[in-house]
Parts: sequence; C-alpha cells; structure tokens
Amino acid sequence: TMLPLLLLLLPVAHGIAELGYTPILTESPVLEGLTTASTFVLEQPRCIFEGYDNADIWLVVALDTAASAFNNSARPGTPETAFQDFPDSVHAYMTLNATLANYPCPKRAGDITVLRVGSETSCTQDAARPTCNGPLPGPGPYRVKFLALEGSEPVAETGWSAPITLRTAKSPSAISTTDSGHSGGMIALTTILSTLFAILLAGLVAMLVFWGSDSCGGSSTFSKPESVTVRRYNTHHVYDQPAAR
Amino acid sequence: MAKSDDCVRILQGLLVFGNVVIGMCGIALTAECIYFVSNPHGVYPLLKATENDDIYAAAWIGIFVGIALFALSILGIIGIIKSSRTLLLVYIILMLITFAFEMASCITAATHRDFLTPNVFLKQMLERYQKSEPANNNEVTKTWDELMLQNHCCGVLGPSDWQEYTSAFRLTHNDADYPWPRKCCVLDAQGLPVNLDGCKLGVPGYYNSNGCYDAISGPVNAHAWGVAWFGFAILCWTFCVLLGTMFYWSGIEY
Repeated sequence: TMLPLLLLLLPVAHGIAELGYTPILTESPVLEGLTTASTFVLEQPRCIFEGYDNADIWLVVALDTAASAFNNSARPGTPETAFQDFPDSVHAYMTLNATLANYPCPKRAGDITVLRVGSETSCTQDAARPTCNGPLPGPGPYRVKFLALEGSEPVAETGWSAPITLRTAKSPSAISTTDSGHSGGMIALTTILSTLFAILLAGLVAMLVFWGSDSCGGSSTFSKPESVTVRRYNTHHVYDQPAAR
Repeated sequence: MAKSDDCVRILQGLLVFGNVVIGMCGIALTAECIYFVSNPHGVYPLLKATENDDIYAAAWIGIFVGIALFALSILGIIGIIKSSRTLLLVYIILMLITFAFEMASCITAATHRDFLTPNVFLKQMLERYQKSEPANNNEVTKTWDELMLQNHCCGVLGPSDWQEYTSAFRLTHNDADYPWPRKCCVLDAQGLPVNLDGCKLGVPGYYNSNGCYDAISGPVNAHAWGVAWFGFAILCWTFCVLLGTMFYWSGIEY
C-alpha cells in the first residue's frame, strides 16, 4: 500500500506542467516593427494557461546561450532576475507580469494580441523596478518562455522559443552614392547635340570663307527685286542704238 | 526667272515659319523654366543640401535662352523679309551662341538628374534629419517633415530606413520609443498620432509604410526631362532653321 501512495506523491513533488506551446513572434498582422534594434513583438499566450486562474504568468527572457541553464525556481523581482543587470551578471530576467484575465480565451476576432518586449524606457536604470520591460541591450540572439507562478512556486511553463535575433543598424557612410552610371538618354542627348552644333559651326565657317565668291549657288542667285529691272533696261538700250542708225 | 522667284518665296516662307515656331517655343521654354524655378513641390532644399543643384542652374539658363530665342526669331524674320546679309549674319552668330547655351543647359539637366539616386537622398536624410547643428540642417529637417506629412510617406524607401541604418535622428531618439519619426505615424487633425502604440509596432493603417522617394523623384524627373528634352526638341528645330538660313544667306546678292 505504501508504493501506490509514494507513486501518487511523486508528480505532486515535481509540480511544473510542461505546456506544449512555444512562444512565437507575431505572425498576423504583419508588423513593420516586429523586430527592431532593441525590441521584439511576441504573440500573447492565449488559451494556453487554461485552469491556472490564480497564477502569475511571467515572461522569461534569456540569452540564447543561457537558456538551458535557467532554473525555474528563480523568483521575479530579485537581483538574480533583475532587468537592470542584464546581460552582465544576470543572464535571464523576468518581466511582463500578467494573469489569466489579461489573456482571455478565445481571442476575439480582429483583436491584435501582442506583447512588445522592450517598450518600457523609463525604468531601464531604476533598480527599484527589477521587472522592468526595458529595451534589449544588443541584437541577441535571445530565447523566451512563459512561466506560471502560484505564490512563489512554479506550476506551469511553456517551451523555450526559437532564438530571436534583433536588427543591427549599419552606418550611413556605407551607402555608396557614386556608382550611378549615366543613363542612355543623357548620352544620346549629348552626342546628338554636339553633332548638330559641330555641323552648324562648320556651316558658319563655310559661309564666311565663301563670302563674296559666286562658287556656291551662283547660278540661282536671289537677287534683290529692284536691281534686276535696272540692268535689263541698260542692256536693251546699248544694243538698240547702233541698229537704229 | 519666275521659277527661281517661286523657290525664293517658298524658302523665305519656310524660314519665316521656322522662326515663328522658334519664337513661340522660346516663350514656352521661359514659362516652363520659371515654373520649375519657383519650386512648387518644395524639394529645392533637399537638392541644395546635396550640393548638386545644377538642375536649377539649367532652368535659370533656360529662362534667358527662351527670351533670347524669342528676340532672335523676330530679328530673323526681319532679316529674311528684307534679305539683308548683315542682319542675317548677326542673326546666325547670335543664334549659335544661344544654341551653345541651351545645349549646356540640356546636358547639365540630364547629367545631374542621373546623379539624384535614392541612395543620395537616403544618405542625406540619415545624416542630417533632426541633426541640431550646423543650423542649415533645419531646412533639411523641415523639408522632410513637410514631405512626410503631405505625401503620407516615411523615409526614402520606407520606415525600415531608420532601422537598417544608424542616423542623426537615432542619436537623439532611442529605438524603443521611436523606431521611426513620429511624422511617419498617421496623424489626426491636431497633429498627434492616431494610435501611438500601433505606430510604434508598425500595424498597417497606423503608420505610413511607403517611402518618399517617389514623391521626390516625380517632380525632379519632370523638371529635368522638361528642361532637357524640350530644349533638345527646340534645338533640333533651330538646327534646321539655321541651316536653311545659312543657305539662304549664301544666295543673297549684295
């Protein structure tokens, strides 16, 4: 009779339920700021912690390398899990305290259910707020999980998320502004205009060189109207005079 | 010589017609360039900040070339009707000088248009937007704010410009509170974001997701191609008229 009793006591002694959920970054709607240089956006754990009405659900944020070393008996609000010492002496901090009432199930259609990790900027240096949801100090990678505590005892946890890497900003001096080639239109324009101008200059030179000589277009001279009539009259007069005698 | 007279008359008529067209095009060119120089789309401060605003110099030259073309076309018409060698010689030489200036204007406009790529504006925006000193950056900041407000756009290629690169803006505004400037948010009538959290998250509908490059390059392209290609068309026509005038000139008895 002692054996079944012992077997009954064993699961109670371990206590933490492993919920088969992995935290993910928000997939719908598509967010421009899903990951920035110091924040990221998680999907809320709706319909995951059913039955744990009295538990406080905490988010554990850990460095990727320190995730497996995290001890579930760590307490939020203590120096061992304070945000302000992350990542130097603290390798995983706890933040974003919530209860089941904050995550009603089922999710109402059209609601955007997100958790923005890193949005509180006022308490980053405030040691009196160890559970600050402050901006992450580097690009990571980080892993997160949700942990439900009743009183100070952990009762349920989700799995660790996939590693989350944040954006790294490049320097603007890396932007090259000099490698734009010349467009075809500009080259065509320059070539054609230069050719036309050269032809006109050649024409001007030809004009000035042949100024006064009749060689170019002498047979189709555009005479001024008045002078033609006078010349004709003189020619007739000279020839007619001797014949008349 | 009746046939030759007819040819003369036809040539004269064609040249007068050609000069009338040049005169009208000159006025049109002046009007177009005045329109561009008066900067209706407000992008001049950005171009000035790139230190490569020769597109405006090209437009200024265009104004004066247009007036010169109009005046010279009148001179040309008088010279052709009077068949005066001196007048036409003066006309041809001055026209060639005007041709050279207009050619310079067209080539400048086309070349400098090619320089204004998105990267040029991106680099300038990142380095100078919200940079408090030197004081001439206020022009850049004000222009960008107005641009983003009026065209409902953000950055050059999109709000992610502010995430992908560090900037003068980033030095004074931390990433968590300002992933991108507040002007990128959809604003209400008082100029405050409709939903600040939605804007910071990047929820569609609460922030402007397109880049402003189209709003900048549209007017700049219209300006550059208007000056360059209209000028090119005028010059092609002027070339024909000048060749005809040279031929006419060489046939005048003096």
